[in-house]
Amino acid sequence: MTQLLWNGLFVGSFYALIALGYSMVYGIIKLLNFAHGDLYMLGAFIGYAMLSSVGVIPASMSITALLIVLLLTMIISGGIGVGIERLAYRPLRGSPRLAVLITAVGASFTLEYGVSAIAGPNPRVFPVRLQGETFDILGARVSAPQIVLMVIAVLLMLSLNSYIQRTSMGRAMRAIALDPKGSLLMGINVNKVITWTFFIGSALAGAAGVMAGAYYGKIDFLMGFIIGLKAFTAAVIGGIGNIKGAMLGGLLLGLLEAFGSQWLGGEWRDVFTFAVLIAFLTLKPTGLLGERVTERV
Amino acid sequence: MKLRIPKVLAVGAVAAALMATTGCGGILSGGDENASGDSGPIKIAAVIPLSGSSAPTGTYMKNGMQMAIDEINAKGGVLGRQLQFDPEDEACDPTQAAAAANKAVSNGAVVSVGGYCSGATLPTLPIFAKANIPMIIPAANSQELVNQKLPNVFLINGTGAQQSAAAVKFMAKDGVKSVALVDDNTSYSKDIAAQTKKDLEAAGGIKVALATSVTAGESDYSSVVHDITGANPDMVYWTGYYQEGGLIINQLKAAGFKGKIMVADGSVDASLIEIAGGTSAEGVFATMTQTPDTIKGAETWIADYTKKFGSAPGPYSTQSYDAVRLAAEAITKADSTDGDKIIAALAAIDGFELFSGPLKFTPEHTLSSGGFQILVVKDGKFTLHDDLS
Amino acid sequence: MSENVDSSTAPRLIGKPASVVSRLFESKQLGWAGFAIAVIFPFLVANNYAMNIATTAVIFILLASGLNIVVGYCGLLDLGYIAFMAVGAYTAGIVSKAWELPILFTIPAVLLMTVLAGLIIGAPTLRLRSDYLAIVTLGFGEIIRLTANNLTITGGPSGIYGIPGVELFGLDLSSPVMFYFFCVVVVSLLVLGSARLGKSRLGRAWRFVREDEDAAEAMGIHTYKVKLAAYIFGAMWGGIGGMLFAAHLSAISPQSFVFLQSALVLMAVVLGGMGNTRGVVVGAVVISLLPEFLRDMGNLRYVIFGVVLIAVMVLRPQGFWPTRAYEPEKAGPDRDGHDQDDGGSGPGAHGRKRSRREHRKVTSSGQERGENA
Repeated sequence: MTQLLWNGLFVGSFYALIALGYSMVYGIIKLLNFAHGDLYMLGAFIGYAMLSSVGVIPASMSITALLIVLLLTMIISGGIGVGIERLAYRPLRGSPRLAVLITAVGASFTLEYGVSAIAGPNPRVFPVRLQGETFDILGARVSAPQIVLMVIAVLLMLSLNSYIQRTSMGRAMRAIALDPKGSLLMGINVNKVITWTFFIGSALAGAAGVMAGAYYGKIDFLMGFIIGLKAFTAAVIGGIGNIKGAMLGGLLLGLLEAFGSQWLGGEWRDVFTFAVLIAFLTLKPTGLLGERVTERV
Repeated sequence: MKLRIPKVLAVGAVAAALMATTGCGGILSGGDENASGDSGPIKIAAVIPLSGSSAPTGTYMKNGMQMAIDEINAKGGVLGRQLQFDPEDEACDPTQAAAAANKAVSNGAVVSVGGYCSGATLPTLPIFAKANIPMIIPAANSQELVNQKLPNVFLINGTGAQQSAAAVKFMAKDGVKSVALVDDNTSYSKDIAAQTKKDLEAAGGIKVALATSVTAGESDYSSVVHDITGANPDMVYWTGYYQEGGLIINQLKAAGFKGKIMVADGSVDASLIEIAGGTSAEGVFATMTQTPDTIKGAETWIADYTKKFGSAPGPYSTQSYDAVRLAAEAITKADSTDGDKIIAALAAIDGFELFSGPLKFTPEHTLSSGGFQILVVKDGKFTLHDDLS
Repeated sequence: MSENVDSSTAPRLIGKPASVVSRLFESKQLGWAGFAIAVIFPFLVANNYAMNIATTAVIFILLASGLNIVVGYCGLLDLGYIAFMAVGAYTAGIVSKAWELPILFTIPAVLLMTVLAGLIIGAPTLRLRSDYLAIVTLGFGEIIRLTANNLTITGGPSGIYGIPGVELFGLDLSSPVMFYFFCVVVVSLLVLGSARLGKSRLGRAWRFVREDEDAAEAMGIHTYKVKLAAYIFGAMWGGIGGMLFAAHLSAISPQSFVFLQSALVLMAVVLGGMGNTRGVVVGAVVISLLPEFLRDMGNLRYVIFGVVLIAVMVLRPQGFWPTRAYEPEKAGPDRDGHDQDDGGSGPGAHGRKRSRREHRKVTSSGQERGENA
C-alpha cells in the first residue's frame, strides 16, 4: 500500500513537472502545446549529448556533473521552446485556436523525427545512471536517487510558484491569463511575458527529460509522446491553466495509475485512468482547482 | 453566367493539376512493371517499419537485407541478374502497410522479404497473394499469419507456439514452481504469453502466479514491478521487446526481486543489457533461436555487419539476412522469376543453411524445428545455456 | 464534391462583386467537377498502388467531413474521433465474420453501434466546455482502442482478419478499381449529405452554438440536444468510414486507431478550412496523400510533413479554403463597413480580411471559456 503510494507519487512528480509547462502556456495563450512532451524528449537528448561528449565521468562526480548538465539543458531547451513559439505560434497569435493546435502537432512531428534523423531511431543508454541505497520507509522501498529527484522536482515547482506569486513578471503572467487585452493596455509587454512563459515551461520539461534519462537510463525519440498525453491529462485534472492544479493533477494521475494497475491489471490501467478522468470531469467540469468561470457574452 | 464554362474548365484544370501529381506518383512508381520480366535487376521488396516506435528494429532488418543483397550482387547476382532492394516503410500501421505492399507490387517485386509487426503484416498477405509474389517473412510470427493458409507465405522465424514450448520445457527443467508472465500488449508478445500460459496450464505443476501487460514506450514500470514482487514468483517471463525489457529488469532488481528472469527473442539484444544497467541483467535467461553470438564462426559476419553499418547487428538482422539469401536460393533453384515456380522451389527446399540451422518447411510453411534454445547473460553477453536437446 | 455550404444561407456579399477566381471558388459546379475528377482518375492511372492510396484518401475525406460536422459546424473539439471509426470497423468486421454476412448488410449494426457510442460518449460530456471536452474525447478514443486491444471478441492486438470485400446485387466490387468507384459514390453522397446538413435548420443551430453558446441558449436553442445531434451525425459518418476501411484493408487492428490518426483527421479539417465542406475535402486529400508522396524521403518525411503543416498554417491561419463569414455579422451596415471594400483582389485578400475579423470572434469566445489561471 505505502509502496503503491510512493510509486504513484514518484511517477506523478514527473507528470507534474511536464504538466506545469502545459498549464502555464495554456493559462496565458490558451494553447494546447502538443509539442511540449517532445521538449521533454529533447531535454533528455541534449543531456545525453552533453554527458557523452564529456567522456567518462567518475562516479563521485556524477551528481555534480548531472546538476550542471541539468542547468545547461534547462537553458537550451528553454531557448528551443522560445524558438518554437517565435516560428510556429507567434505568427498565429489571434488566429483560431485550432490553427495553432495544428502547428503544435506539426512542431511535434518535426522535433520527434528531427531527433530521429540526427540521433537515429535506436534507443540510447544514458551515460550517467543514478544509483544508490534503498531505504525502507513505512514499508515502502525508497531509493536515494528517487529522493534526490523528488527533491529537485519539488524545489523546481516551489520556486516556480513563488516566481509567479512574488515577482513582477509572475504578476504580469497572471494578469495576461486574466485579461490579455487589459494587460496590454496597462503597459505589460505581452510578447516578452509569453516568451518567458515558454522559456520556463520548456526548461522544466527539459529538466524532467534529463532526470528521467538519468534515472531510467533509456531515452528514445518517441519518449515524449505518451508522457505528453499523460501530462495534458494531469493538467486538465488539476484544472488547466492553474499552476498548483497541475502539480496536484500530476500526483493524482500517478496515484491513479499505480492503483489502477494493481486492481485491474496492467492492460486495463489506462482504461481505468481515463474512465476515472471522464467520470471526475462530468462531476466537476473544471478540474480540481479550476474556477468556474461565468461565461461573458 | 457567361463565365460558367471557362469557370468549370478552370476548376477542372486546377483540380486536375492536383490529381496529376497523384497520377505522377502512380505512373512513376508503376513505370517499370516489366522489371519482373526477363532482363534488368530482380526486385526484392521488404515492407518493414522504418518510422514510428518500431523503427529501430526495422532498421536492423533493412541492414541485414542490404548486406545479403550486396553480397549476392558482388558474387554476380542471381540468374546472371543483379538483385535490387526495395524497402518500403509501413510504420507498423496496417493502412500504410497495405499502401506499401501495393507499391512494392506495382514496382515489380519478385519476392517479398519483409514483415515485422504482425498486425501490419496481415493486410499485406492478400495483396502479395493476389499478385502471386512469394513472401518470406523473417520476423512476424503471429499464429494468424499461419492460419490464413496462403500458399505464398513462408515464415522463417520460430512461431509463438514453438517459443512457448521451449520456455515451458526450460521452466520445468529448471525446477521453477511459479511464473509471472508479462507482455507488452502487442500481438507478437501477447501471442507468446498466452500460449505459454496455455501450455503451463495443460502441463500442470507450474503455477501462473501473474499474467499482466504493460504499455510499451513508457519509462516507469514500477506498477508492474510492484505486482510482480507482490506475487513473488520463481521466474518472470517477459515476452516483449528489449527497450522495455531492460527497464523492467532494472526496476525489478532495484525493487529487490530475487527470482529468475527470462525474456523472449524480441528482447535478445545487447541493448537490453545496457539499458538494464551495470550487472542487473546478469543471469537473465532468454528463449532464442540461434544467433550469430551463439554460432561458432559467425564472428566474421558480425564484424562485417558492424563495419558496414557502424553498429552491431540487432534483433532480426540475421533472419532478414537469411530471408534474402533464401529468396536468392529459391530463384536460382526455380531458374525463373515466376511466382509459382519460386513458391514451389521454396516449399521443396531442404537443408539450406540458415543461422537458425538447416531449413525445411512444414506443410504449413513454418520452420519444421523452431530451433529455440536457452541463452543466459554472462559477463555482459548472451551466451548459450541449454540447447534443450 | 458538394454544393457550397454557405451560398444559400449567407446573403451574397454586398458591395463590389468578387473577382473571377473568387466566384469560381463559390461555383456550384465545383462539387461536380471534383466528383468528375475522382471518377476519371482511375482511367489516367490504374495501378493497384495508386488505387490503394486513392481509396484511402477517399475514405479519409469521409472521416474529415464527419469530423467537420462536430468541429467545423458545432465547434466541439474532438480529439478522439477515430474511436467512431474503430467502432464502425470492428462492428462491421465482427458481424460480417460471425454470421458470414456480406459487409454491406452490417450497415444497420454499424449505424446502431456508432449512434450508441456517440450517445455514450456525448451524453455525459457535452456539458463540458472546449478543452475539457477535448481531453474527455481523447480519453474515450484511448479507452476504445485499449478495450479492442484487450478483448478476445475483437481479436486482441492482432485484430480481425479476413473481412469480406464489398458485394452489391451479386456484383463483386472488391477489385481495387471497383472498390474505389464504390467508395467515391458512397463518400460523395455522404459528403453532400454533410454539406446539406450544414445548410439545414440544425446546421444553423450548430453554427450559432459554435459562435456563441450562451446566446444560442438564450434564443431558445436547446444547445445540449443540438450538440448531441452533431456528435451523433459525426459518429455515423465515422462509423461508415470504419466499415469502408474494414472492407478496404480486409484486416483491422488496434494500431489503426491510435491518437495520431485522430490528430490527422483533425488536421485535415483545420487545414482545409473548418466548416467549409469543400475546404475540408481538399484538406483531407492533402493530409492523406502528402506522407505518401514523401514516402521515399524515409525518416525525414515526417520532418517535412511537420514543417509543411507549420508553414501552411502560418501562411493561411484559416485553412486553405475558409468558410465565408456568417450572416449574424452581416446584419448591420456598421459592422459590415470594412467588408464592403474587400473582395476585389481574389480569395487571398478575402481570406486575410476575413481572418482578421474572424479571429476577433474566435479569440473572444476563447477567452470566455475556461479562464482560470
